[in-house]
Amino acid sequence: MLDGLNITNSLPLAALEVGRHLYWRLGNFQIHGQVFLTSWFVIGLLVIAAVAATRNVQRIPRGIQNLMEYALEYIRNLAKDQIGEKEYRPWVPFIGTLFLFIFLSNWSGALLPWKLIHLPSGELAAPTNDINTTVALALLTSLAYFYAGFRKRGLGYMAKYLEPEPFMLPINILEDFTKPLSLSFRLFGNILADELVVGVLVLLVPFIVPIPVMLLGLFTSAIQALVFATLAGVYIHEALEGHGEGEEEH
Amino acid sequence: MISQWSLLLTTAVAVVEEVEEKGKLFDFDATLPLMMIQLVVLVLVLDALFYKPLGKVLDDRADYIRGGLGEAKARLAEAEELKTKYETELAQTRREANTVIATAKADAQKIAAGQIAETQQAAQVQREQAQQEIDKQKQSAFAALEPQIEALSRQILTKLLGAELVK
Amino acid sequence: MNPTVAAASVIAAALAVGLASIGPGIGQGNAAGQAVEGIARQPEAEGKIRGTLILSLAFMESLTIYGLVVALILLFANPFA
Repeated sequence: MLDGLNITNSLPLAALEVGRHLYWRLGNFQIHGQVFLTSWFVIGLLVIAAVAATRNVQRIPRGIQNLMEYALEYIRNLAKDQIGEKEYRPWVPFIGTLFLFIFLSNWSGALLPWKLIHLPSGELAAPTNDINTTVALALLTSLAYFYAGFRKRGLGYMAKYLEPEPFMLPINILEDFTKPLSLSFRLFGNILADELVVGVLVLLVPFIVPIPVMLLGLFTSAIQALVFATLAGVYIHEALEGHGEGEEEH
Repeated sequence: MISQWSLLLTTAVAVVEEVEEKGKLFDFDATLPLMMIQLVVLVLVLDALFYKPLGKVLDDRADYIRGGLGEAKARLAEAEELKTKYETELAQTRREANTVIATAKADAQKIAAGQIAETQQAAQVQREQAQQEIDKQKQSAFAALEPQIEALSRQILTKLLGAELVK
Repeated sequence: MNPTVAAASVIAAALAVGLASIGPGIGQGNAAGQAVEGIARQPEAEGKIRGTLILSLAFMESLTIYGLVVALILLFANPFA
């Protein structure tokens, strides 16, 4: 069995590598090179698209401007639905960047044949395939909602930990930990699981059969970006409005 | 979930690989803070490059459309007002025209009636004159014929009775 | 790795994913059924129902993903290895 697996492993597109990284040294610190390479690609794509869309703005949009306006309008509606008409505007850049970055990362991982580029160790994949990226995103979301709460309500924000009943304090504190945990693990698990499933199927039948699963992967990738952005909006809204009306989701 | 059975396979493969090198799935290192900084920078950069300018475009367009809509609505109201004004004017004019026509008709009728009456009167007068003339002439004719009647009757008599009996 | 630990880890990983998919499977089925019912009753609300459904399906799906993450921890980052 081992031999058989090794033979299939030698196929160029079908290698399964989990948890291997291209390490870069930065002073005393180690960083994951492959994550940064793909994230720079995604960021570059976003910046180029933004510059191209706003270089020559017209009242009647065409081409890339139209596309980016559609994206912006989508993001605005998303933020408006979650945070509310009155306060959503300052949060559009944050939620929108989360959405666009995650969406492009996921799709770049699912659509681009990164594996054709050989690295000394590890492989190029979606940046969201790495736990560091998703935890970074989730921690930023936590910081964002803390910032939103403290800026809006000052120290009175702390009062929400005693709502609706004071004995809920430990649960409320625990929630601040479970929120980023569930956010990051949801994204990480979905993307990694998707790549693993596709990888396994490609390993078994490297022809046509994996295509439906790949399409499903594209769908989940998009949905996960939407879910992350939506939840970030929900958490920010909760911090702005108090504890009462937010949904409890983990 | 497709991942159920496929994960069994993954498991097998993974165990094989793990023998070669211990994988690090949850490998936190400096990637995490650097990624956070990178993302914050991305938010700021995109805010300056994308959200602000394009958001302004969207808002401007919304204002423009709203303004255009308002203007169009005002124009529509104006047109509506003009229409009603013209309609009332039209109705009034029509009414006036109707009265003019009615008066003209009445006048014409009156004139016609008058003329007819006049003509009838004139005709009457003429007829009467003619009648008188006729009567006069008849009388004069009778008067003129009176002596002839005498002579003619004498002649008839002489013819019938013979000259000797007459006179 | 100790073969016993490896074997236990593999079985535990399989169980983690397998068991973690039962609950969300039932939940997703319920949600989808209710959504279809809702659409049948109110076809004009289809778009809204679909959006909410997909979002809630993603939330349920993430429960399975947690099981998967546990499985992955057991396989690739086993603390007992």
